[in-house]
Amino acid sequence: MIHALEAHHAPVVSLWVWYHVGGRNEVPGTTGMSHFLEHMLFKGTPTHPKGDLDRLLARYGAMWNAFTNEDVTCYFETVPKARYHTALELEADRMRNALISLEETEAERTVIVSEREGLENDPSFLLGEELQAVAFSRHPYGQGVIGSKDEIKLMPRDGLYAHYHRFYAPNNAYVVVVGDDDAAHLADMAAKAFESLEPSRDLGQPPRAPEPPQRGERRIVVHRAGGTLPLVMMAFRAPRATDPRAPALAALAVTLAGTSAGSDGASGRSSRLHRAIVEKGLATDVDVSFRLTKDPHLFWVDATLRPETAHLEVERIMLRELEKVATEEIGDAEFARVKRQLLAATAFGTDTITWRAYRCGEILSTGAATSIAEWYDKLAAVTREQIREAAAATFTESSRNVGWFIPEAAD
Amino acid sequence: MRVERRQLDNGLRIAVAPIADLRSTAVVLAIEAGQWYEPADRAGIARMCAQTVLRGTTKRDAAKWAEALDSLGAVARLDVGSTAAAFSAQCLGDDLPALLGLMSEALRTPALKEDDVEFVRGQTLAHIERDERDTRAVVDRVWRELVYPKQHPFHAPPIGEAGVVRTATADEIREYHIDAIRPSGAILVVAGNATTDRVAEAASRAFGDWRSSGNPPLREIPEVALPATIRRTEIVPDKTQSDVIIGWPGMPRTDPRFVAARVTNMVYAADTFASRAGNVIRDQLGLAYYVFSGMGSSRGQSPWIVRMGVNPENVQRAIEVALDELRKVTEGQITDDDLSLAKDKLVGELDVALESPGGVANMVMEAELFDLGEDHFERYPQELRAVTKEQVVQTARTFLPPERHAAVVAGPPLPVELAA
Repeated sequence: MIHALEAHHAPVVSLWVWYHVGGRNEVPGTTGMSHFLEHMLFKGTPTHPKGDLDRLLARYGAMWNAFTNEDVTCYFETVPKARYHTALELEADRMRNALISLEETEAERTVIVSEREGLENDPSFLLGEELQAVAFSRHPYGQGVIGSKDEIKLMPRDGLYAHYHRFYAPNNAYVVVVGDDDAAHLADMAAKAFESLEPSRDLGQPPRAPEPPQRGERRIVVHRAGGTLPLVMMAFRAPRATDPRAPALAALAVTLAGTSAGSDGASGRSSRLHRAIVEKGLATDVDVSFRLTKDPHLFWVDATLRPETAHLEVERIMLRELEKVATEEIGDAEFARVKRQLLAATAFGTDTITWRAYRCGEILSTGAATSIAEWYDKLAAVTREQIREAAAATFTESSRNVGWFIPEAAD
Repeated sequence: MRVERRQLDNGLRIAVAPIADLRSTAVVLAIEAGQWYEPADRAGIARMCAQTVLRGTTKRDAAKWAEALDSLGAVARLDVGSTAAAFSAQCLGDDLPALLGLMSEALRTPALKEDDVEFVRGQTLAHIERDERDTRAVVDRVWRELVYPKQHPFHAPPIGEAGVVRTATADEIREYHIDAIRPSGAILVVAGNATTDRVAEAASRAFGDWRSSGNPPLREIPEVALPATIRRTEIVPDKTQSDVIIGWPGMPRTDPRFVAARVTNMVYAADTFASRAGNVIRDQLGLAYYVFSGMGSSRGQSPWIVRMGVNPENVQRAIEVALDELRKVTEGQITDDDLSLAKDKLVGELDVALESPGGVANMVMEAELFDLGEDHFERYPQELRAVTKEQVVQTARTFLPPERHAAVVAGPPLPVELAA
């Protein structure tokens, strides 16, 4: 699948290749495999030995990177438009020809362990990872993405190679390109680059493990000395991107915490949770997120507390605010603010070429809509009643998962 | 890139980079109220003032001001950097006059009430407490304390020192606001959906009658040099990874050697993948997930530092390898390919940065803030291209002597003490 969009305000092209493989394709024993593989795609092909891709892209001043999440693995490069053909050539080459040598696998293993150890330094990662594991009893989403440290250490090269051969193929990828050229030309070039590649004959299905209904609240507590500020995190079971309630849930997140997180920012301070918790001097930050995902995932609500604040006090206030938004429609002025923040955020995101391509790929790969415009139309059409209904359907005790991070004194 | 300039009677300079086909506009207003202008021994006052400014004005309280900003859907923040306090924002193009009005109201007529100062104090102390268990924040704070004397504006990070934050009074914040938040020396940069005339008109309406009297007190700033290698290990409990900084005091953005320094930085360690240090430490040896260096762009000797995230077992080796790579640079072991790669990357990035209004605004702001000249964007790529291998070697020898560095490690206990 190839999608091309035009953007003429800068002489660049942003190329994104989305593979339908991520944490949801893994089973215990292979957690982190898709992410490990993402690293190995930078380790060379017969045509472009290790280091070649990095240096070529650096030479063009490219912005490039890759990421893996529960649903997809994605590679992108934003390059001066004259270099678009090189970006295509590099991506097409590594779609089927990555070497993934034993030697490079061993060298990269320690880098990935280091990445994991860096994340472990952050209390909110530790709490979030444990809470996600509790929220899913069957679905692979509960395993997260980076994998356990032990499984990273044991990851076999042959397993990585088989995973690569199975999932890295044109019939399992979306190509999204946005740039300063005619869209048909951008798409034609991409089609030529990828059309001769051999499809995978072994795509199969991701592990089928539908998450059974949750029957009651689940709670965890993490005690560590590695942080000083208490955290309260809530994760409610939420529908997939294709669900009709998805746009309303995106608007609900803005109602609760605005569009930009972080206490230093001046925006989002009129949002409900900011007023109820941060402005009362109980927390330094509050954040709410609803991600577009292929299968039902989570609606996250979390707060970083001031050192002297009790977890329970903040949790009660959070629940009260969630209850309020689930039972009463929001007022005219507030609704207008929420809609304006949603509208502006769509403009900010798509006025940068790289992020326009990202947004397009996210919407298409999860099935949220058939184009950016359609998704934005869905957001624009959200009503106050739909926000209330989405809140009422989501914020139930039986679908609630709560986690506390309790800082401990150092020894 | 087309940049058009205007100036208001009160000294406020305006630079506009219109970009066709966009719906939004990026705005940065820089005021000479960064760490460089902060009173000596009062590290943190500038940031406290900036945060208190965002808590309501004499016309409307914090909640009403926040509602007005969110009604535009704008995102905004006010940060204290090494040189300037920067009010940066993004809004839909038609909302620019309203956004500038809100920014002006907050900057010029903040309430600065006792309650607001107390709120900011509580938030700031909580952040400082959080930073004490954050290895990246600890390594940065300790490195600054080792390298810059107490009287230097870069001795503490912008969040400041807990003692100052605890003792700051509302009167002190008000006094600092009068001294520091002024139109002279201020620069407004707008990039995106805007025309110069419309921006000038909106800026004139918002800031045209902004006046201030007298001059802010000048601060004496000592020259900094590392007499010898200094190393320090800070234990941060219950962590898995060590954060490492190896660094030196850098140079002002206005130093004629700055462009050569950017190329030197890129050759050595600026990019985890394209520079020598990252290539060896991550790609060849697998010792770290990230390795990169950065040099501040300020009026003074901002930190020029290499940062790495490393397993404690590998800290000693990663530091040795980073310094070995630097030694090779100072000895002239730089291939033509290393040099051309660094220059190509820095020049190429200029084109790619044009893709976002925020990226354009930041580039324009650097040029305006340090008076780099109206033809800066034509000259700069040529200046990068003209940097020679000899200049790179000389810059590294002068500013990054491997035998005189400051290295700090923050994280779990190390298996062996860090050798001096």
